[in-house]
Amino acid sequence: MQTLRVNGQTHTVDVDPDTPLLWVLRDIIGLDGTKFGCGIAQCGVCTVHLDGRPVRACALQVSQIGDGAITTIEGLDDADPIVHAVKKAWIDLDVVQCGYCQPGQVMAAVGLLKTVKNPTDDQIDSAMSGNMCRCGTYMRIRKAIHLAAGEAV
Amino acid sequence: MMRHGLSRPSFLLALLAGTSLMSVGPAQAAPSVERGEYLARAADCEACHTVPGGVPFAGGRAFPVPGMGVIYAPNITPDPDHGIGKWTDDEFVRSVREGVSPGWKHLYPAMPYPAYARMSVDEVKDIRAWLATVPPSANTPSPNHLKFPFSIRAMMVGWNLLNGPASSYPDDPQKSAEWNRGRYLVEGPGHCADCHSPRTLTYGLSADRAFAGTVVNGLRAYNISPDKSSGIGGWSDEALAQYLSTGHADGHGTASADMAEVISFSLHYLTPADIHAMVVYLHDLKPQSSDDAASPPRKPAAGDDTLPQATKGARLFASTCAGCHLPDGSGRQSPFANIIGSRTLSADGGRNLVRIIMNGSTLTTASGNQIMPGFAGGNLSQRDLNDIAAFVMTHFTEATPSEDKLNAAAKGP
Repeated sequence: MQTLRVNGQTHTVDVDPDTPLLWVLRDIIGLDGTKFGCGIAQCGVCTVHLDGRPVRACALQVSQIGDGAITTIEGLDDADPIVHAVKKAWIDLDVVQCGYCQPGQVMAAVGLLKTVKNPTDDQIDSAMSGNMCRCGTYMRIRKAIHLAAGEAV
Repeated sequence: MMRHGLSRPSFLLALLAGTSLMSVGPAQAAPSVERGEYLARAADCEACHTVPGGVPFAGGRAFPVPGMGVIYAPNITPDPDHGIGKWTDDEFVRSVREGVSPGWKHLYPAMPYPAYARMSVDEVKDIRAWLATVPPSANTPSPNHLKFPFSIRAMMVGWNLLNGPASSYPDDPQKSAEWNRGRYLVEGPGHCADCHSPRTLTYGLSADRAFAGTVVNGLRAYNISPDKSSGIGGWSDEALAQYLSTGHADGHGTASADMAEVISFSLHYLTPADIHAMVVYLHDLKPQSSDDAASPPRKPAAGDDTLPQATKGARLFASTCAGCHLPDGSGRQSPFANIIGSRTLSADGGRNLVRIIMNGSTLTTASGNQIMPGFAGGNLSQRDLNDIAAFVMTHFTEATPSEDKLNAAAKGP
């Protein structure tokens, strides 16, 4: 039995200790806003926050989480100025094309702005480099992060 | 009358009965399956006698020996026809400690019987008792492919005279009990020198350069003597113990490839007291300097979230590696992905670095498997992988990569 804190709620789940978090989130807890992409931490689509830090849920074993707090795309707090600014910028600039990678992109962007208030292009490229987008919305993502940074200050 | 005295035959019978009763007592000669399992782990039998991902102990794993050919590990499950089920305990002991299997079949020293001879006869019988409990397999490994004259097993009689089995040695009363236990584990079942000591001309283990490191299967088995710059002299006891028992120590990176196997199949099963004993012994070895030393780590890497995007290697690192290792190398979500301070980042011209980027690595720990995927044969060319390696060497350490060395490492053994 593993006990996890997800979006402020405690869940006790009966899984093997090396089960990836993503499986638990989607198949057991039913939070399917976090998507499955590659399964080997190469695409970033399954990004969630562990104690505020972006991690890849597909390659994070539940036994490694301990009592860390997990936040998924469903659990982002709209009252948080950074979360609000990122969501607004994403809508204002119409960032999304097909949308499959976007939960991961948003989680990575929020994670970046939590640690770097006003990132440069290089900082954005470094932090977002593990998040793939097959539609190629990278330029709009970078622009939206700059916009959100300006509005969240 | 007979009640008061025993006739000679019945006296003998009683004696025999007494002996066999004694032999089932816990501390005496009866093989202990439990102790045998622990020793079989300490001796890392499974890693070599199992094809990666295959049936444990069913053999078949290939061991290329440079210039001689390929040796295949035999099936040591209790199957009577394909394994060692028909062997007597004495035959098993002779194989493990003297390198001679039933029918005067001399083993090649890919089997580290000179080291295993440090284990007592009773201990090896314990291992046998445990091996008899593993599921039998009817696997028949390929026969060895050895060039003449190495194909003649009897040659090993001569080799044994030169490099042959040691015997279990008495404890050194000048040293602590921990040191003696550590020596037993390192030199005996652990057979660390079989990878970490260079070989002599006759393929024996070099005593002069013991634990100075060498190349095995195209990978550098690092210098594990306590030399400050090229060995483990700079590691704290705690870091070394953590590395041996979990495969990772912050500031020293994560064990990978063949050493990850040793941790996975063997060392992570050992008790903290035994790991500590090994640390005591390793730190007391004769320091040996070697020319494969790692370069100093480049600081400050920690917390630096920006990667230079100027070179192809840097851009590939950002897109391919930073997802798990983070731009500053501190690891995104698992302490095992923290590569800061790892010797693999720079040692021996990036030899291991290139091969691990190509082939990946799997480490089994108490909390499950830690997997780095291999990147060879995917979207990235070998040139791309070498570019990543060169970037890693210069970004995280002060090494100067050489293209020739990287290419040679990529080619493998």
